[in-house]
Amino acid sequence: MAFEELVKRGEYVWEVPQDAALRMRVPGRIFLSEVLMKYLERGAIQQVANVATLPGIQKWSLAMPDVHTGYGFPIGGVAAFDVSEGILSPGGVGFDINCGTRLLVTTLFKEEIEPRINELTTALFEAIPSGLGSKGQLRLSEKELDGVFLDGAKWAVNRGYGNPADLKHCESNGCLDGADPTKVSPLAKKRGKPQLGSLGSGNHFLEIQCVDRVFDKKAADLFGLKEQQVCIMLHSGSRGAGHQICTDYLKMFQAASRKYSIELPDKQLACVPADSQEARDYFSAMAAAANYAWTNRQVMSYWVRDVLEQQFNTTATLVYDVAHNIAKLEKHTIDGGRKEVYVHRKGATRAFDKDDSYGIEQPVLIPGSMGTASYVLHGTKKAMSTTFGSTCHGAGRVLSRKAARRSLTWRGVTEGLQRKHIVIKTDDLSSVPEEAPEAYKPIDEVIDVVSKLGISEAVARLTPMGVIKG
Amino acid sequence: MQKYEFLEHTADVTFKAYGRDLNELFKNAAEALEDTMVLLDEVALGETLNIEMGSDSYENLLYDWLSELLITFEVERFALKKCFVRIVGLSLTADCLGEILDLNRHRLNTEVKAVTYHNLAVTKNDIYHAEVTLDV
Repeated sequence: MAFEELVKRGEYVWEVPQDAALRMRVPGRIFLSEVLMKYLERGAIQQVANVATLPGIQKWSLAMPDVHTGYGFPIGGVAAFDVSEGILSPGGVGFDINCGTRLLVTTLFKEEIEPRINELTTALFEAIPSGLGSKGQLRLSEKELDGVFLDGAKWAVNRGYGNPADLKHCESNGCLDGADPTKVSPLAKKRGKPQLGSLGSGNHFLEIQCVDRVFDKKAADLFGLKEQQVCIMLHSGSRGAGHQICTDYLKMFQAASRKYSIELPDKQLACVPADSQEARDYFSAMAAAANYAWTNRQVMSYWVRDVLEQQFNTTATLVYDVAHNIAKLEKHTIDGGRKEVYVHRKGATRAFDKDDSYGIEQPVLIPGSMGTASYVLHGTKKAMSTTFGSTCHGAGRVLSRKAARRSLTWRGVTEGLQRKHIVIKTDDLSSVPEEAPEAYKPIDEVIDVVSKLGISEAVARLTPMGVIKG
Repeated sequence: MQKYEFLEHTADVTFKAYGRDLNELFKNAAEALEDTMVLLDEVALGETLNIEMGSDSYENLLYDWLSELLITFEVERFALKKCFVRIVGLSLTADCLGEILDLNRHRLNTEVKAVTYHNLAVTKNDIYHAEVTLDV
């Protein structure tokens, strides 16, 4: 797939024409500025075109400005499929089901934390299990694990890991309907059981951040964010449980795709008709994994609050918790009519114009790369009409992990963070270069593009003070 | 002949494994996976593990084989250092040698979430080739 095939359809809007590849049912749309265009890979354009071939796809196969090559769907991909004519695809959600971001705001300000940042980062690092194969501190029975799969964050709140108010500040109140633990394999349960309340590794992190700019005072006030205020951001997902659920259903869907005669340009796009039993089973298992992820972030928030109470005799309020790897059953206005669709967001964040949590637009959390800014935004009407209520999910990689390891050292990256007075704690120094800011696109540019496109609007910018790298 | 090599992939880990026959190809792919997850120099050969499985194509057999090793690594904490693979038709039997991980002695490398079907291929010209992408 060549760059020359892209047609400019407006400021920041690039179209992959429907005739660019065989069997495309709709055109593709990639949202990029001139700066971000430099990072676009051929593989990502091809993947946008591949998704456009799937049955029942509505309007466009979309890619957000942080797009990069994934497997099956591109990372940053959004696609909506008709509930009766369309499909469900585990590859359109990804292995880390409900990988997402959560933001807590403390009562503390930057100057109070600064002298004790090292101490606080260390205490959080000790309280929250992180790194390769990390295990949580909870010992769950089979029955309790089923409760996690069914009830999501509510399970944790009922156990005392948080307050009922937290649930109001989660996407879907921290629980997807329709979860069924009997659709989760014994192996997925075995992988998930010891890991609840752990961060994991790779690009997962916990950051101590401070609000360094407010762009929208009205929304920031409602979200409880003031300049210089200290926040805690968590980025984690459904751990081994989600990874295994995706693995199980992808394997099952290889044969099922053939049974339903769905032609696939890439095996990783394996899918089944949305109204089939196989799709219902996958959705029930995916919802269970999504609920596990919300519980996971809820339990970790408890340890965060525990540390804040011990060290500063204070607590933290949940601002919001939002997924960026998920499939949701939603109603959207398509070609003038209301339609029920399965929206797949693979490395993309829901950005609705209405939400119950604060009575205004939905908060959106966009983590930057390690050592760079993160953003709080809100959804918009424009997102509802152009991106099925979705926006970007982060900076998006530019360097492969291999290239990052080759060109950067953990010492260099750590020193770079120190120069910015950012404390870093990790069990896995060798992987620090992989997550270095240089391995990612500039987050400010990505946010600028989604703002100018109007698919979300910036509320506040947060800069890191302490990083726990998973 | 090189056993395996890692290729560039923006988000994930992609490797190519080679073998003069399918047995060697599957053995080398297993070593590439373990090499991604743990520093193999530090793993001894104390424990053995036998794996048997069948599938409907070489690609799917490779996917199942690597997925099984990934789960064994995460759940049983078994790190594979060496293995002997026999493939007859579309059935695989393997004797795996390695060690149960001890985080005081072993250094982990990258956490692998899953084996993907992305561009997964087993091909043959003068030797066998396999390309595998891991989600990390």
